[in-house]
Amino acid sequence: MARMKFLCDAERCIECNGCVTACKQEHDIPWGVNRRRVVTINDGVPGERSISVACMHCSDAPCMAVCPVDCFYKTEEGVVLHDKDLCIGCGYCFYACPFGAPQFPQAGAFGVRGKMDKCTFCAGGPEANNTADEYKKYGRNRLAEGKLPACAEMCATKALLGGDGDVLADIYRERVTKRGKGADVWGWGTAYGPPGQQPAAPAGGAKS
Amino acid sequence: MASLTLKRAAGAWLAALVLGLAASAQAQSPAANPPEADFAKQQQAQQQSQPLNNQPVWKEVRSGQAQTSTVRGRETNVLIQSQGQTWRAARVTVSTALGGLIAALVLVLFGYYFWRGSIELHGAPTGRVIERFSPAKRIAHWSMGLTFVALGVTGLILTFGKSLLLPIIGYTLFSWLATLAKNVHNFTGPVFSVALLIFIFMYAKDNLPKAYDLQWMAKFGGMLDRSGNTHVPSGKFNAGEKGLFWSLVVVVSLVLVVTGYILNFPNFDQTRETMQLANIVHLVAALLGIAMACLHIYMGTVGMKGALDAMRYGYVDETWAKEHHGLWYDDVMSGKVPRGTEPAAPTLPQGRPA
Repeated sequence: MARMKFLCDAERCIECNGCVTACKQEHDIPWGVNRRRVVTINDGVPGERSISVACMHCSDAPCMAVCPVDCFYKTEEGVVLHDKDLCIGCGYCFYACPFGAPQFPQAGAFGVRGKMDKCTFCAGGPEANNTADEYKKYGRNRLAEGKLPACAEMCATKALLGGDGDVLADIYRERVTKRGKGADVWGWGTAYGPPGQQPAAPAGGAKS
Repeated sequence: MASLTLKRAAGAWLAALVLGLAASAQAQSPAANPPEADFAKQQQAQQQSQPLNNQPVWKEVRSGQAQTSTVRGRETNVLIQSQGQTWRAARVTVSTALGGLIAALVLVLFGYYFWRGSIELHGAPTGRVIERFSPAKRIAHWSMGLTFVALGVTGLILTFGKSLLLPIIGYTLFSWLATLAKNVHNFTGPVFSVALLIFIFMYAKDNLPKAYDLQWMAKFGGMLDRSGNTHVPSGKFNAGEKGLFWSLVVVVSLVLVVTGYILNFPNFDQTRETMQLANIVHLVAALLGIAMACLHIYMGTVGMKGALDAMRYGYVDETWAKEHHGLWYDDVMSGKVPRGTEPAAPTLPQGRPA
């Protein structure tokens, strides 16, 4: 079974924010919520690099570990999803996530948090695939339609890749060999741990 | 091995943060414009001499430094915030250790009750009563106390429910319970903070430490003497109550209120690091506070006859005052402290020792 990962090739990213727009469009994301964002390191300085970042669907996902109601689950493809019917909007996943992926729409006065929203790797949620209910809560389930995440498919320079981690690694290796530089696979160490320790199997994916 | 490293990292991080609040302000001040200009020049040279080596840029990725992003929002320009991992590890360690402490304390209190029993009066009640707490003081106490209990119970549900309740009652039911707990917790918190300040203001004077409190401390109020013949001087409040007032009510509760406000109102652009630290401090203070409150609730209910009635009805029998708060009793008798109003006839229930 494929282990789904994101890979952003910083040698190719041109900071066009096309992925951010594609994501917003694909899932009807409300104002104030950004499942994906592009960050530029050393903007305006020689050697600046841009990286598109969203939920990395970590192997040992911190959000999953700290959630007080255990609303996260992992699919067989290693995608970290959550159940908005269980989420209580406490913000713990937001404290724990190194990538700043969990987003909270403001649900009332004084900054009261609504139910958490984050990148689903375009894999929807616990509802039946491609139902109106699923779309309303989590956006489109492209994986169930046999498609890859909209952000990666939309990327004009193919900097952002999403899909089976082994395939992505092969593509990236080939690119690095050809251009002879830019071997930094950003975020993989934080998200997926050292090579050889990347379980794709769901860690207790059961839920009510 | 990994967990040990995490624990060490957690400890180091906590210590660094506790000590480093002032230091961080210092550390930021030299980061003005000149170093940035220097960095640009270095980078230019780097691109010339080593075009394939972009190490200085990548070094900053894990630093948690703010970069540039067109997506507006709090900390959207930070790529990796590593302290969350430390927060995650610290939270588990702290909640397990202090949760265990509370469980052990409850067991000890059960044991103490079976060993010592309820502390009874030695003399016969006189039937004459003294006003111990005015209605205003009782309202202040119960407003603070009941909101504290509500916050404590809901906080415990949110902290330990995943391990203790969820396996029993299931995901859906526990999610409802946790939603309720979160909302009760978040809305009761500000009420508690107001009640707390009023309580501190009303009770501080009687809780000022006096020299004779040392004698109480030395004998631990005679609580370890099963015969109950140890007598220690105490004013309106004994040294134990005063200790609890300054530790639980003033220090711990004020820490809880401050950190609680930081967590409850995330709309002031406080960073994740601030909230992670506030959360850990809140957790430590809350669990210590709950442990202290268990002691107080024990002594105020089953631990001592007449204690609950004092806070419930406001009056105590003269014998109770003489035996438990001798110096206060003397002051009332000599007229140094007002005796308070007489109770309305049906205030005290029949057949109670007051």
